[in-house]
Amino acid sequence: IKLISDAGFQGEITSVSTACHQIEVFSRVLRTSITSFLEGGVEVMEKNLPEFTKMVCHGEHTYLYSQVMMNILAQEPKGGSNIRRICQELQKCANQRGLDVTPITLALSGAAAYPRACQALSSMLSKKALNPADITILYKMYSDNQYPPPPVDLIRVPAFLDLLIESLFKTSSRLNQEHKSKYMYLLSYAASVTETYKKGIRKHIEKKELKPTTQALEKVQALCAQNKNASELLLNTDHTPLHLVLVDEIVTNHLLLHQKALDLLVRLFESSFDELDVMVRLELKKTVLDRMVHLFSCGCVLPVVNYIRECHARQDTDISLIRHFVSEVLKWHQTDDNIPTQSQNQDSRGSRYNP
Amino acid sequence: MAAGDTALWLHNKLGSTDDLWSGKTICSQLSQDRLQSIHACFHTLQPHVKWKGYLEEILMVAIHDTDQWVSMVGEILRTFPATGALNLELEDNNGTFAEVLTDLKKLVKKSVDVRMLPMECQFLNKTALVATTGQQPVPTKHFALKRKPKSATLRAELLQKSSEAALNRKRN
Repeated sequence: IKLISDAGFQGEITSVSTACHQIEVFSRVLRTSITSFLEGGVEVMEKNLPEFTKMVCHGEHTYLYSQVMMNILAQEPKGGSNIRRICQELQKCANQRGLDVTPITLALSGAAAYPRACQALSSMLSKKALNPADITILYKMYSDNQYPPPPVDLIRVPAFLDLLIESLFKTSSRLNQEHKSKYMYLLSYAASVTETYKKGIRKHIEKKELKPTTQALEKVQALCAQNKNASELLLNTDHTPLHLVLVDEIVTNHLLLHQKALDLLVRLFESSFDELDVMVRLELKKTVLDRMVHLFSCGCVLPVVNYIRECHARQDTDISLIRHFVSEVLKWHQTDDNIPTQSQNQDSRGSRYNP
Repeated sequence: MAAGDTALWLHNKLGSTDDLWSGKTICSQLSQDRLQSIHACFHTLQPHVKWKGYLEEILMVAIHDTDQWVSMVGEILRTFPATGALNLELEDNNGTFAEVLTDLKKLVKKSVDVRMLPMECQFLNKTALVATTGQQPVPTKHFALKRKPKSATLRAELLQKSSEAALNRKRN
């Protein structure tokens, strides 16, 4: 195996345990995989991730070694963020396999300088559940006016932010009202605070947008906590689908959330709404399609068109709906000779930008 | 505990080749006595058991082990007992590591345009996003809008309605 590896045929080594046995062979197979991700982008990574995870998660030592290697690479100011993404995808996959990688993640995150924050985070991430005691510790550290707070990156952990959003917005979650504001504060802090560093030392913390973010979050949370079912939400607004207009607003403002918005619209569009009259149901679906037209007009072109084409090909969508989409698009948009056509300029926005 | 017993205990705890993720289960059972005896019996252990040892002296033994996985993991964990952080200065210790790292560093620098954004970017507001990743490139333009889309009219309508409602509420 070593000879095959020395000769440069890493691609030939397909068995995980073979690749993992010797550190030299493993390192080269790792190099081949990372190279293909860096060259192919998100599409290639998503395709090869299951196999990559299987190899890296072979043992705790292979996982540790790979994450250390990638952590060093992620520190490169140019292009390092690509590697950071690979590290995170790997963490997520390891987690899904039931492996607890939190200690390794935190040991690499620089959290050691803040042992109390680190312990609080670590216990919540390992259990995949938030608790008021640990949240209070973090809240105190980040809202303290006397001592400088830990770096914002420490709580910008996707898994932690997901847990915060789930606790605040999932109707089934039972959030202690007394502590709710702390959850909101931490989420707003992670979303809005920026820091300036010079030679690795933090010079300034900008909290200008923290308060408005917290206030906005409070409003939205109160609205969402009212727990209404989907058709009630869509129909109780007198011809104006207020909740869908909010989706428009999100699409207008956040390029990175386009794919998520499309996923949501597709889910709504494909819901059966059995309790509704056929005509009402069609009207509702047209309203959802209008959101897709908006998404389209904001630059999420190919993912939307591909979806509609798929609907047409599957022949399970009422043809009047397809017609509605096409006529709306033609009504508002025109091709411009100065603009490169789709075939000349491939738009992969949907998947490429979207973490 | 005698050295032989400790070795047996470690092999029982960590020796399964089916489960290579058993670090968590042993952590809570490490005491001072136990660590001392692990130190004493370390050289008798099997390779895949060895790298699970945690503290400095054991790590030093591990670093000098002939199995390259063992010595590499020892090297990574060298600073952990003292600082809680992992050792990232590994290039001098392992030729392959240095070679692969150098190759990949070159590639990473060239990969700016790939733009795989870190996952937390979805959670950031505009200012924080720009501060973290720099300006986002403008999406490819496929179409021009003939006029403002229907959604813009709807938005304007709603904003007007809501300001009227707010005004009414004030009056009453």
